[in-house]
Amino acid sequence: MELYKKSAAELSKLLRSKEVSACEILDDTLARIEAVEPQVDAFLSVTAQTAREKAKAVDAKIAGGEAIGALAGIPVGIKDNICTKGIATTCASKMLENFVPPYNATVMDKLEAADAVIPGKLNMDEFAMGGSCENSHFKPTKNPWDTSRVPGGSSGGSAASVAACEVPLSLGSDTGGSVRCPAGLCGVVGLKPTYGAVSRFGLVAFASSLDQIGPFGRTVDDVAMLFGAICGKDSAHDATSRDYQFPGMTEGVKGLRIGIPKEYFGSGISEEVKTSVLKAVEELRMLGAEVVEISLPSTDYALSAYYILSSAEASSNLARYDGVKYGYSGNRKGSLNELYLTTRSEGFGAEVKRRIMLGTYVLSSGYYDAYYKRAKMVQRMIGAEFEQAFQKCDVIATPTTPSTAFKLGEKMNDPVEMYASDVCTVTVNIAGLPGISVPCGFGEGNLPIGLQLIGPKFSEAKLLGVAKTYETAKGGFAVKEL
Amino acid sequence: MEIDVRRVAKLAMLEIPEDEVEKYEKELSRIVAMTEHLPEVENAKTLIDTENKMQLREDVVEPSYPRDAMLKNVPQAIAGCIVVPKTVE
Repeated sequence: MELYKKSAAELSKLLRSKEVSACEILDDTLARIEAVEPQVDAFLSVTAQTAREKAKAVDAKIAGGEAIGALAGIPVGIKDNICTKGIATTCASKMLENFVPPYNATVMDKLEAADAVIPGKLNMDEFAMGGSCENSHFKPTKNPWDTSRVPGGSSGGSAASVAACEVPLSLGSDTGGSVRCPAGLCGVVGLKPTYGAVSRFGLVAFASSLDQIGPFGRTVDDVAMLFGAICGKDSAHDATSRDYQFPGMTEGVKGLRIGIPKEYFGSGISEEVKTSVLKAVEELRMLGAEVVEISLPSTDYALSAYYILSSAEASSNLARYDGVKYGYSGNRKGSLNELYLTTRSEGFGAEVKRRIMLGTYVLSSGYYDAYYKRAKMVQRMIGAEFEQAFQKCDVIATPTTPSTAFKLGEKMNDPVEMYASDVCTVTVNIAGLPGISVPCGFGEGNLPIGLQLIGPKFSEAKLLGVAKTYETAKGGFAVKEL
Repeated sequence: MEIDVRRVAKLAMLEIPEDEVEKYEKELSRIVAMTEHLPEVENAKTLIDTENKMQLREDVVEPSYPRDAMLKNVPQAIAGCIVVPKTVE
């Protein structure tokens, strides 16, 4: 049985009816990883031994008639910036190459309690900075739909591993589009939850006011299942986490008002992307939704505000890498300053250095008001515009990315062009909203296109419900044969 | 916009090799030019985030992580202490 092709929901059913065991699911997963990794390069580490122990424990529970968790026996891949106790968490950086966390991220404790099986850690752009997964210190991940192209980033490994059927589910993190963009480019479903819906404890910090952990899957049901397992208040560790329980998806789109913001369909967006996204909206209209035109005028400023705010926070968050407490350590024979300088200069890659310097610059004396303060004000403007827009509509539909997946190496020498890949997604983080990317067709070269749906805070039930209605109408999403 | 890469790098505790200064200057200037595209807004009140008020954790004693576990990631430790280069001459 080709278990690797099955969704998490299907695997769960097979496990519960005792048609397969958790160990059989894991065996199939590990075999699949071994078979396609040479083409995809999504994993940084495969943790077969600990996964096997967990799978055996799940099987023992089932054999003993004990209750099992919501994700029992389901393999879930983890982005390598989420701390896993006793398992290396590298952030795809030389800086953390040998870092083994002594604790679990809250989401990992939740996955453990839900009886999920963790087969390994996934590749990413170093410290989640990038839009192509090429900024990994270790290797670039490839897009399963065309392995000469990028999977998107920064959660490229999370998206590619799900698209290549190595795992049915994975976790990524999204600071400016890092779940939704790779989901869009790899033709899978990716949810960026509302800021505060999922605890950030144990997620290695990039920009704390924007970071959020989110699930990937090949079906909307699977994404909802994983989201339900990881959301909720974490009063011990994360003061920004909210007391939120996922109530389950809403049904249908009858009477639902879908807002189309004209600013997201401008000149920077490729024609094939616009056409596919608008066609998907039309299909939702045929299913009973109402389409309204809306305007989000500050969208033009979003990319600027995003790169100022995220880099400012990054420069502060990454100040902790000093070669003293953990991580890479540079020249220890000279002065303390030399240790700091060599540690950071040798341990960080080029993109991380650029962001740290940009952040340092915008926060430096004489420039703070011009950049950081203005960006914070733009953040409020963008939030207020979304609030107004949601008076007129229930969800907003936009493209996820301006184009389909680009070639490996194509944008590596042009940071500004690379940053522009996030143009459709950064507003959602700036405003703290939930957003989901759903496959909505293919462009030239059979490359996936993503539809982004945005809702008010804590409207995940509705977003997933709309996505599910679309998925059902399409008869499911295509999976690439590898 | 001219950016003094050497000064910014020093503030950020990063060493940029001389032959890369020009490259960083060009890249950062382009990035900063992109971010300069912001409107003039004059309202300091908008900076206060009313929805996410600062919350303080209860000041209670909780179990700590075992010392040995925390020291496993330390680049250099002697007798349970973290070693750093001499800071006072």
